[in-house]
Amino acid sequence: MLVSSSKITRAREMVTKTEEKQLNQLEIQVDNGGGGTWEYLCLVRNLKLRRSEKVLKHGSSILNDPRKRSALGPYEWTLNEQVAIAAMDCQCLGVAQSCIKALQKKFPGSKRVGRLEALLLEAKGLWGEAEEAYASLLEDNPLDQAIHKRRVAISKALGKPSIAIELLNKYLELFMADHDAWRELAELYLSLQMYKQAAFCYEELILSQPTVPLYHLAYAEVLYTIGGVENIISARKYYAATVDLTGGKNTRALLGICLCASAIAQLSKGRNKEDKDATAAPELHSLAAAAVEKEYKQKAPDKLQLISSALRILKT
Amino acid sequence: MNFGFLVGVFGVLILSHAAYSTIQYRGLLKIMEEEFSRPPINVILELIIGLALCMWAALTFPGKFLSIHPDSDENRAVSLPDNSDFMIFNHRGRLFPPEIDMKF
Repeated sequence: MLVSSSKITRAREMVTKTEEKQLNQLEIQVDNGGGGTWEYLCLVRNLKLRRSEKVLKHGSSILNDPRKRSALGPYEWTLNEQVAIAAMDCQCLGVAQSCIKALQKKFPGSKRVGRLEALLLEAKGLWGEAEEAYASLLEDNPLDQAIHKRRVAISKALGKPSIAIELLNKYLELFMADHDAWRELAELYLSLQMYKQAAFCYEELILSQPTVPLYHLAYAEVLYTIGGVENIISARKYYAATVDLTGGKNTRALLGICLCASAIAQLSKGRNKEDKDATAAPELHSLAAAAVEKEYKQKAPDKLQLISSALRILKT
Repeated sequence: MNFGFLVGVFGVLILSHAAYSTIQYRGLLKIMEEEFSRPPINVILELIIGLALCMWAALTFPGKFLSIHPDSDENRAVSLPDNSDFMIFNHRGRLFPPEIDMKF
């Protein structure tokens, strides 16, 4: 079994279509017993996806076979870490414990392994001990980003989103450039229906990474939820930006444009004609509707009738 | 060695032959004490042929060009990475652990 380190792709901020296709192909191949297990595991690790069951199954099959394990060379320990986290996610705590023990033997006194142990305490549900472990790890290096984030995760797991939000805000005052943290904060605010604050978080994300279309999409959705003609006009702009950045293939953004157009027409019923004409964008609406119908014709032709009648109602 | 590579090598040989001819021509002009304005017509023709061959080889030999548009069908964003820094473990899946036994 070749350790193809040259094929290890660099981690990026989003998952592209080719990577998704490659991942699905590898997944099918690995599930059916063909080779390529190590490539699959590397791809999952680089794309930072959460496929815990598959990683656990195939990773432990490599680790159980001593021949394959020694063929990995130094990457054996990365695999141990990956399988340990996947095992914790699937609640196979014995597997996680053995992986961590192997890592402890190889790297005694390592902070990274210490983090894994505290993570195991979290997975076991011993929140108090996990907090203490993180606090003691923080004493040694108070600026460890991962540990701060795990403390937020503990509050989230205990069902205290307000405390999680407080901790996350304090963390973001120090580390303002952490996109994952901004995303998490936006989702926490959304779970508490604090839409204006969530919109602020998405604005920060769009400012720092304007080429990721999914942030534009999320921002548009929050604006649409808040409501009001001004917000829906902005939402339509951001849906259009998403359509632009994804080459017109994001069906959700296309539908969003149609919905926005219909909402604007309804909300501005009382206004005079010039205002209405300024805010309406009839070409955008009809183009988006046509694009949606084309997508449905390609991918789900039996639902085409449904979507055509829905779009017709939206147009009136 | 495929055809594109051979054409490229051939183009480079033609170009170097043209260079050598030009140097020889300059030497000849120095002997005859005349001005060197431009290489003779056949060398220019050779240069053009060499350019065409090398360009064709450079475009066909490397194989398939990758798309650079961020919104092309291959490069468009499909999903964001799952935020695993904030992953929590008390979800419903923990009631169905898969059967894995460890031998190490």
